[in-house]
Amino acid sequence: MNTTSATECLLELCEEHLGLEDYQSGVPRWCTGCGDNAILAAVQRLCRDEGLRPEKTVFVSGIGCSSRFPHYMKTYGFHGIHGRALPVAEGVKMSRPDLDVFVNTGDGDCCSIGAAHWIHAIRYNMNLTVFLHDNQIYGLTKMQASPTSPIGTRSNTSPRGSVLEALNPLTVTLGVQNASFVAQAVDWVPELLYDIVKAAYRHRGLSFVRIVQRCPEWMPKLHDPWLHDPNRVQVLHHERGLQLSAALGRVYRNQLAHDPRDLDAARRIAGNDDAIPVGILYHDPEVPCYEDLKKSTLLRTPALIRAGVEAQFDKYTVWPKVAETAPAEHQAA
Amino acid sequence: MDAIATHAERVAFHLTGRRGATVREAGTLRPALQARYRDVAALRHDYPVVLAASGDVAAVSLTSLVDAALARVATGGDGDRTRRQVLRVEHQIRVLVEHGAEGTLGELWGDAVQRLLPGRDASFADAARRARAAIAVDGPVVRCDPNLPHRLLEHAWQRAQTRKHAALRDRLVRLIQQLSDILRVDFEQSNAGRSAARLQASVGSGHQGLFDFDAMASLLATGAAHPPMADARRERIRRLLAVLDAQAFVALPDDGAARAAGSAVYDHRFESCTAALAAWNERQPRLVELARAIEVAELEIDGRYHAERHDALFAAYGASGLDAEVLSRFPDLLVCIDGTTLDADEQRKLMEILAGELPIKILYRVDDLLAAPEAKGTSPGLRCRQIAHMAMGLNQVYVLHAAASHLVACGARIDDAMRFAGPALFCVYTGASGATAGTSTYLAAAAAMESRAFPAFVYDPAGGADWASRFYLDGNPQAELDWPIHRFEYEDARHQRVSVDLAFTFADFAAADPRFAVELARLPAAADESDLVAVDEILLRGAGPLAERVPFVRMIDERDRLHAVVVDQRLLRKARGCREMWHSLQELGGVHNSHAERLLERERAAWEDAHAAAAAAAPVATAVVAAADSPETTTSPAPAAAEDTAPSRDDAYIETARCSTCNECTQINPKMFAYDANRQAYIADLKAGTYAQLVEAAESCQVSVIHPGKPLDPNEPGIAGLLERAEAFR
Repeated sequence: MNTTSATECLLELCEEHLGLEDYQSGVPRWCTGCGDNAILAAVQRLCRDEGLRPEKTVFVSGIGCSSRFPHYMKTYGFHGIHGRALPVAEGVKMSRPDLDVFVNTGDGDCCSIGAAHWIHAIRYNMNLTVFLHDNQIYGLTKMQASPTSPIGTRSNTSPRGSVLEALNPLTVTLGVQNASFVAQAVDWVPELLYDIVKAAYRHRGLSFVRIVQRCPEWMPKLHDPWLHDPNRVQVLHHERGLQLSAALGRVYRNQLAHDPRDLDAARRIAGNDDAIPVGILYHDPEVPCYEDLKKSTLLRTPALIRAGVEAQFDKYTVWPKVAETAPAEHQAA
Repeated sequence: MDAIATHAERVAFHLTGRRGATVREAGTLRPALQARYRDVAALRHDYPVVLAASGDVAAVSLTSLVDAALARVATGGDGDRTRRQVLRVEHQIRVLVEHGAEGTLGELWGDAVQRLLPGRDASFADAARRARAAIAVDGPVVRCDPNLPHRLLEHAWQRAQTRKHAALRDRLVRLIQQLSDILRVDFEQSNAGRSAARLQASVGSGHQGLFDFDAMASLLATGAAHPPMADARRERIRRLLAVLDAQAFVALPDDGAARAAGSAVYDHRFESCTAALAAWNERQPRLVELARAIEVAELEIDGRYHAERHDALFAAYGASGLDAEVLSRFPDLLVCIDGTTLDADEQRKLMEILAGELPIKILYRVDDLLAAPEAKGTSPGLRCRQIAHMAMGLNQVYVLHAAASHLVACGARIDDAMRFAGPALFCVYTGASGATAGTSTYLAAAAAMESRAFPAFVYDPAGGADWASRFYLDGNPQAELDWPIHRFEYEDARHQRVSVDLAFTFADFAAADPRFAVELARLPAAADESDLVAVDEILLRGAGPLAERVPFVRMIDERDRLHAVVVDQRLLRKARGCREMWHSLQELGGVHNSHAERLLERERAAWEDAHAAAAAAAPVATAVVAAADSPETTTSPAPAAAEDTAPSRDDAYIETARCSTCNECTQINPKMFAYDANRQAYIADLKAGTYAQLVEAAESCQVSVIHPGKPLDPNEPGIAGLLERAEAFR
């Protein structure tokens, strides 16, 4: 029998309830029509619905349009340097495992300069929620091809069209050891976006969500074929994944029942070029988190800290007075 | 004496207890089914047990440990020899323990090997060493004696308490640490904390001459001032620390000085319910105080304590008692009582503990189940059963009723009971009364369970919402029968093997007790048995006319010779009562449940009636074909789908659920278009803008969820062009 104690009931009555606007900080300066607005709305809804305490929530970002995100959330935030959102977030998590840590990174920040950190962050599987705002272009720096830009993209750095096939963040993530949660969303289906964001938050481990987002400024027509033809969005559903509402099911009829535990099927779906798969591709709740594996059971008492400091100081002693007056055994190491 | 006179004497003894010439006193006889169990030490059974400090269960039988070790080491060509050698060690340990040897498994194993070593080759020592290495468990070895239930249950209780103590201790240490940190930080940010003297004290004595502490203090004083902690909060935290430090429920790592000053940790073991209840009532206020301090401390550490909201709440904390979930974090009490000498007052206190749902575990030990035939009042076994039933009736008491021989098999249940948040009652028959009959305690306890005189059952309130989930009869042999039936083989007068099925009934169990010799009469050897009927048979089918059949049991003497022993009416009545009590337990356990059987019967009758009616109607059935294919038939109404009522094509609307919050429409006209609580757009005020803005918003919308409908003002400039543009969105 699962019962709630009377004390907990009474304490819950005194809990504060925050509205969506309590998480809003400033007016976003993203372009009108930018998909980042949809992601911001979905994340603010998540914070409200999950009752996340602003002082216990952190958004960490790198550089790019996506990385303006922490400025618009009335929580703790860290707008870091290019490509380093993930290691900063990992550092936050290791020192304060009690905080809810989110990462906002872009296709350049994560898949280009930050690629090395990305690989190992997946492997470490720390309890973070990572949103890859993939607009398939470098937007903040005014239109350069990114690793995820489709082949043939004309940009300032590829005036004759990019010559390489686009990197697929999903197949890369699914190919790394210890991947525990991989999902894809699109910013123009807000209901699925919210459900995926919520599932990602609730997963204990590194939740990697690639959000295909529109860039109305530099790539205004890129996603039109998928935007205007719902059948080119393949919605993944399963009792262990997302469940579709009736209304959504009537619009998005291209549906696939996919068990998120099936890694091989996830990899096949991730490589789908024709329809964009939207949903949870892979979910393994059993993968251990790095911070749990490294958790120390020692309480950081002053005595413990003092003992550690003393042990380090004992390794050498530097005498500030004249060296020749010091006994020979006390020479600096 | 002829057969009729012989039969008359048997009937007379059965009805009146008066003996004739052909029915003698029973003498020292044992139930025939116990023939193979004369020397328990020679048999592999559940005892002795090893009381394990760690692992899944509290007590593991030596037999199972040796079997597991043999599965690992007795492999290959030497497997058989290794097995024999290790079993010899096991037997030796069992013999040592039966003769009173005490010690841990490691010590007794070494002792047994040393005794067996002379005259054996090197492979024996090697096999013993390898088998011992394969046994990961160690602990005191305990035989099945009258003290076993106390030792085993206390050990299980201690294991559970160790876990609770550790969890509570860690929590208290963390809270004390963190509360102290809060005060320390507040102090260090205060003027006193930044004074020159304090700074000087914080620097090591070696280099104090290097610093100007006054200058440092004045520098720090000019920095940004931190507002000091409110006095009320500081005082509250100090009070919390005082309560946490002074608590007496668990020992904390650094409280040696406090303990030396006289505030000892509570002892949680008692020898009577009266003492336990008195201690509980006396400790209750301190328990409430500590539980409240823990809750407040957690809130303080998280910074979520608001005096205006929480002071009143916690002022009344625990006024009506603490819930089971809060109590489960604190140590339980253990009470061991002797049911044979329980007086009325103690019984009242026992029921008070059980009815009050207090976290107290009670061992109700019964050494003797049966009362002498001439004794008045309720037998100890029956009183124990009554108390167990009353406890089950309270619904919130974990009840385990088992003979000592069965405790090892109940290991997991015992651990569950110790982890259970409320009271637990362990009713255990020790088998001590078997000593009077020259039987080992293990055998007497096993016989009590076998004969349903002391059956095993468990009631677990946390098992589920219904009786099927909470009540267990598993462990009782052949629980679907009145009595367990075993194959019994003997040699007859012509030296032929005879094999019969014998039931082990209550009469067999009582017949082993010398006090019941007056209710038994032994027939001479080779007496005619045609008028005899087994006790189980007579209880099942009835005796028939009184003069025809006489109940009997089979017993053996000290030379293992078989005897037929007539049972008198008093003993038969007790056996019938035992059988009926077993039936009621079976019903509770879902075996031959009369309600279920009646329901099944009703359903079967209904099904048969329906089947018969269908069979009768089938030959004249006319085909009624649904006219679904007929063109003039209208199709049936579509199934009620969860369709929202679609707005009219002429109304302007936004499919808000699909809005992607891109700000296109709100940028065009923030009065006409607004965001709802989920930051998705809806038409707030259609009159706040023009139809042109509506159409522009529809064209700008990234996900095409804006539908302009028809204009409010048909005279708006450029309306024709706007309507044409809007057509794509209708």
